[in-house]
Amino acid sequence: MTFSEFLVSHGGIFFAGLGIAVAVFLSGIGSAKGVGLVGEAASGLMIEEPEKFGKSLVLQLLPGTQGLYGFVIGLMLLGKLDASLGLAEGMYLFAASLPVGFVGWMSAIAQGKTAAAGIAILAKNEEQSTKGIIYAVMVETYALLSFVISLILINAVSF
Amino acid sequence: MAIVKMSNFSLFAFDSERDKLLHELQKFGYVHFTSLDKNEDLIEEGLEPVAIPESIGEVDEEISKVKYAIDLLTKYYTKETGIKAMIRGMDNLNFEELEDKASKIDYLPVYHELRELSSKLDDINSQMKDLGSQKDELHHWKGLDYPIDELKGFQRTKIFMGTSPKKMKEKFDKDLLNLNLTHVETISEDKDSIYLFAMTSMEEAEKFNEILRNCGFSNVLISGKMTAREEIESIDQRLRELEDSSLELKASVEKLADKLPSFQVVFEYLMNKKLRLMVAEDFLTTEKVNIINGYIPTDLKEEFEGAVKGSLEDTYYLNIEEAAEDDPAVPVLLKNSRFAETFESLTTMYALPRYNEIDPTPLLAPFYLAFFGMMVGDAGYGILMLIATFFVLRLANLGDSQEKFIRFFYYLSYSVIVWGVVFGSYFGGAIPIRGLMDPATQYQELLIMSIVFGLIHLFFGLAINAYLSIREKRYLDALFDVGFWYMAVAGGIVFLLTTMMPLGPAINTVSKYVMIAGMVGIVLTGGRESKGVATKTIGGLFSLYGISSYVGDFVSYSRLMALGLAGGFISASINMMVGMLFNIGFIGIILGVVVFLGGQLFNLFLSLLGAYVHTSRLTYVEFFSKFYEGGGEFFRVFRNKAKYINLK
Repeated sequence: MTFSEFLVSHGGIFFAGLGIAVAVFLSGIGSAKGVGLVGEAASGLMIEEPEKFGKSLVLQLLPGTQGLYGFVIGLMLLGKLDASLGLAEGMYLFAASLPVGFVGWMSAIAQGKTAAAGIAILAKNEEQSTKGIIYAVMVETYALLSFVISLILINAVSF
Repeated sequence: MAIVKMSNFSLFAFDSERDKLLHELQKFGYVHFTSLDKNEDLIEEGLEPVAIPESIGEVDEEISKVKYAIDLLTKYYTKETGIKAMIRGMDNLNFEELEDKASKIDYLPVYHELRELSSKLDDINSQMKDLGSQKDELHHWKGLDYPIDELKGFQRTKIFMGTSPKKMKEKFDKDLLNLNLTHVETISEDKDSIYLFAMTSMEEAEKFNEILRNCGFSNVLISGKMTAREEIESIDQRLRELEDSSLELKASVEKLADKLPSFQVVFEYLMNKKLRLMVAEDFLTTEKVNIINGYIPTDLKEEFEGAVKGSLEDTYYLNIEEAAEDDPAVPVLLKNSRFAETFESLTTMYALPRYNEIDPTPLLAPFYLAFFGMMVGDAGYGILMLIATFFVLRLANLGDSQEKFIRFFYYLSYSVIVWGVVFGSYFGGAIPIRGLMDPATQYQELLIMSIVFGLIHLFFGLAINAYLSIREKRYLDALFDVGFWYMAVAGGIVFLLTTMMPLGPAINTVSKYVMIAGMVGIVLTGGRESKGVATKTIGGLFSLYGISSYVGDFVSYSRLMALGLAGGFISASINMMVGMLFNIGFIGIILGVVVFLGGQLFNLFLSLLGAYVHTSRLTYVEFFSKFYEGGGEFFRVFRNKAKYINLK
């Protein structure tokens, strides 16, 4: 069996699996970084004002959603997984995972930075801290859009 | 609409009556003073700013005392937590009750007692700290079993005690070989020093000293009548005693902790008193007469007059007139129906409307309600929200803003339930009931639905813009800014649809020309405010370019679908994991229940948070940009914002 024969007969499932991995790990890395960034900023605040824990937690949670979007896409791809997938179909599923993977990755980091800056609002002017949340959510829009596209790509076909 | 009508008042009153007047006005509450100290006209007339009474210093001192006691006692006060505390809430007092209650509290004795106790505590703490460091030092000399003080004052022998760096040890040992009448002992070691005890005869002392200096030796001064070990024991004994008395003192502070609520009442009272004194900054005065300016809600005019009359009898001059519509200085107070008032926090978070604007709260509320429900879209979550908020509202004693916040979610929960039923989603499919549509498979219909909702939302926003223009009799603006956009956007959408679906050539042609007419209109009128033909044209074209932002706006509404789907899928994957656990057996079932409860609650929180902020975004960015500016000034009620009580 040559390599190309191998690719044709088993490549489908391989690429589909790779798609699941990419969707989950890229967005997961992004979210982990983002959430970590906000957590670091918030820890400094807790020394002086532990009563703001609840609000800081909300800010910290915001960059966490990208990882969840990636996870959902991963699960949906899992539903499509089949040993008889052709190479083209597998590669298609792989492509479907890319939007949520890449946008989720970078947007979670950007959102984490914005939310970490929101911690400064929370520290200095608690009443306005919701505005920090809104700013962070502006970033999330793009993660949502990529999630929608990944979702549509997966559902647009039935093998 | 829902912006409270304001009246401007000017009041002349005798300086001597000021306290009485302000006290009465504070009881009344709804007075917003405007600062006159920037009013050039009046200052040129020879009026002077009112000097803040000196009694402010006393009040400040009292406040700092009370604050001190509150800070101290809060550490010892065992507060009820959880549901019980929520049900009890903060004390509800009106202004008179607050004053009455505060005047009956004599907090000074308790304050002095606290001061004394805490200074004793501080003293004990510093003693303990000293002893602790003494102990640490002695610790190294435990091996020296000779009374420390007796080592000093030999006639023929000199004693050295101290530390030397470990890395010098070799050199030190070598140097010592030259001396005969010197004895060195290593008592103990730590990470990088050795603790040395050395005795040398007076003749060799100088030489030895030289060696020590070369080896980085440093003297340690310790003292004590007994050996180091015994000294440590006596320090321990002393520490235990101090610990006991510190516990005793803490217990007496704790006994006073139940006085905390009365300190809090006094604090609120004092803060209001301070405000009453400070507000005089805004006034101007002649030798005897204060000139006071401000705003009151028009429908409280009679109560205001009553309050002034009640405190000043007949010795005043008062002039009240309706505030001018376009005056930017008029403060804004919102008043809405019981339903819409819970959405006020959304408006104020963006920006308060200006006095001549429209209060967007009742306009955004129905959309907010619908969109929020759609984004959460799970009947199980909705029912949980409904039950929780219902019981909190029923049982708990809540402050005004807290009550509004909970009621906000109470209303939203109905929308969540309705959408949950539509989607047939109950805890992400844990209870299988079919709905009107299945978002997981019919996402395309859902997407179209979301964008149609967006279209309605945006067109409604534009319609408000048109209404505002028409209200101000700027009919052409309504046509230029809204009418043409309706034509361009609606025509464009229908035109696009005709290319995808067979709707007949007539519709195709009509929609095409409507769109083109709208676009031409925008180009011709978009730059009408600038001067010169060239800039007008560029302005017009730039306006038309704004059509691209409409595309962005529509796409943005896809989040209505996306958030619901994401929440639903996360919830479903939790159920999937629970299902796998259930197959394991008994332990699996227990674990499954835990995962189900924890996971669903987490997802519920996440969905609510997501829906709250994303719906806010649709409101602020997409909806408000069509008609709303904001930037009004808050109506400052003449009360201090209460921290520890609910001040009615």
